[in-house]
Amino acid sequence: MQIASKQIDDFKTERKDITPPLPVILRLVPLLLYCSIIVAVVLGAVFFLQLQLAIKKREGHRIETENIAIETQKTQSERAALEAEIKKATDIESWVAGSRPIQPLLVEIARSMGARSSLIDLRIERDPDAPAQLKLAMKIGTDTTKQLDTTLDRIASQDYRTFSPQQNLGRGELDYRATLVSRQQRTPDVVPETPAP
Amino acid sequence: MNSKHIACAIVAVVIALLVQFTLWFQNSRSAMQRQAETAQFAETAAADQLARERVQLAELRRQSTDLIGFLKTWQPYFQSIDNAQSAEVNYTMRVKEANLVNLAQRFELGTVKNNPSIPTAMRTYLTFEDDYPRLMNWLGELEVKMPTLRISSVRLSKGTRPTDLRAEITLEHPLLKK
Repeated sequence: MQIASKQIDDFKTERKDITPPLPVILRLVPLLLYCSIIVAVVLGAVFFLQLQLAIKKREGHRIETENIAIETQKTQSERAALEAEIKKATDIESWVAGSRPIQPLLVEIARSMGARSSLIDLRIERDPDAPAQLKLAMKIGTDTTKQLDTTLDRIASQDYRTFSPQQNLGRGELDYRATLVSRQQRTPDVVPETPAP
Repeated sequence: MNSKHIACAIVAVVIALLVQFTLWFQNSRSAMQRQAETAQFAETAAADQLARERVQLAELRRQSTDLIGFLKTWQPYFQSIDNAQSAEVNYTMRVKEANLVNLAQRFELGTVKNNPSIPTAMRTYLTFEDDYPRLMNWLGELEVKMPTLRISSVRLSKGTRPTDLRAEITLEHPLLKK
């Protein structure tokens, strides 16, 4: 197919050709230029719009990610603070569990003494490694172990269990040693008897 | 090569530049779209992490409700006397108020094992020789009024007079870490 020379501008002014004409195929070059300009403008506009949209989207996601990161950090701080509170509560609970009043136990042991018995020496010490455990050592003036049974019953009435008991009866004195462990541990629902300061 | 060929070559170069510019623009758009997708993935990952953190926090709150309630109840008692001087003054006053026969009194600052929140405790060593009911009542009242107090050791034996009781008591008052 031939392209009419008058239908397409080949950038020539109307003058007498001093050089031989271009081959017919090269007359497509100007047409290709126009087409490429149109396509470049259209595609450029589309790409520009898409680029702007992508920038907006990226910035939106970035801002949202930053906000989420701040929120995450806040949540992590709250968690760390709560963990510290839990640790403190556990430590305080451990102290309170090892601070059960022992005056009622002393009174019960003293009251358990019968008419023909006497409490010569009584020693109660908390185990430094396990303060909830009490080391009991007592010397009772008695001739039989019956008094000891009564005393142990009274100790049991205070919710204490005896472990590793050792007893020695001789010359009207009974030596007794044991470890006392409370059956009733102080739990988080325990409230002090006196109002808070 | 005549001027027409040169003009054609220049136009071809312009066309190539236009194509190149369009391709460059397309590449920029694609790169930006990829960055936007990456940012979206990062946002999704961050949102997932936040959701996990919130679930863990809520679970921890649920599990520790009792313990935190316990802390709120007991902390004021621990904070009421939180230094060695106050503890010493407090126990000296209580012993004086009780008007018991006090043979010895000594204070010492000691460390508490395995308790980072209560690293130290004020140890009070007391020796009394007095009437049994008075001593026991005082001790019982002390344990009620000072619920954080720990009696770490007590020794009861006969006093010099027949009605007297000798009591050697070691008290520990917790000093909460500030």
